[in-house]
Amino acid sequence: MRYALLVQGPPYSRQAAHSALRFARALLARGHTLESVFFYHDGVYNAARLAAPPQDEPHLVDAWRALHDEHGTRLQVCIAAALRRGLLDEREASRHGKTGHSVEPPFELTGLGQLIDLGLGCDRLVTFSP
Amino acid sequence: MILHILNRPPSSSLTYREALASMGPEDRLLLIEDGVLGALPSQVRHFESVTGRLFALREDLAARGLDGHCDAAVQVVDVDGFVQLTEEADKTVSWS
Repeated sequence: MRYALLVQGPPYSRQAAHSALRFARALLARGHTLESVFFYHDGVYNAARLAAPPQDEPHLVDAWRALHDEHGTRLQVCIAAALRRGLLDEREASRHGKTGHSVEPPFELTGLGQLIDLGLGCDRLVTFSP
Repeated sequence: MILHILNRPPSSSLTYREALASMGPEDRLLLIEDGVLGALPSQVRHFESVTGRLFALREDLAARGLDGHCDAAVQVVDVDGFVQLTEEADKTVSWS
């Protein structure tokens, strides 16, 4: 089956992102496809390029990136939720006159229309909220 | 059949009432995260209406030191079983 996940919880302060990551690994282990993880609300903090957690803690940003590298999962971030939280890729940083950027590929800033597409196009869309 | 996923315990949130009210006769309810507290014998009475269709996630029970403390009416599944429940359902609804 083709799955997509919607992550609305921030890393570390709530369990939602950790639950979603565990579920993602389990569905891949069962032979399913994970088309995309869509980050919305405070979930967009999962895309923070500069995240540097202690080495003995799970590195969520790297873990999401590994899903992309190993399984081709798209990592889509709601652009409206991201911009207002200071999460900008190079293009948006330039457009808003900011020095430096906080989101980089494979995370991609995208619109809610993409989330609707996932709901329509995937067999299962599972939401993890704080 | 819809799989409803609840991550809040009845002891601190009334969300479970909305979840139960929206459930069809075949729908299933999976307790995850702090929601697994609802699977304890002291709280499981809130879920009487879905007896036989009530599940709790083993990893979240274990993380709270509660593995083995569930009420007998609750079916404990691991994350692999969680995925299987989503396979068997037509869709999922998450309550928080």
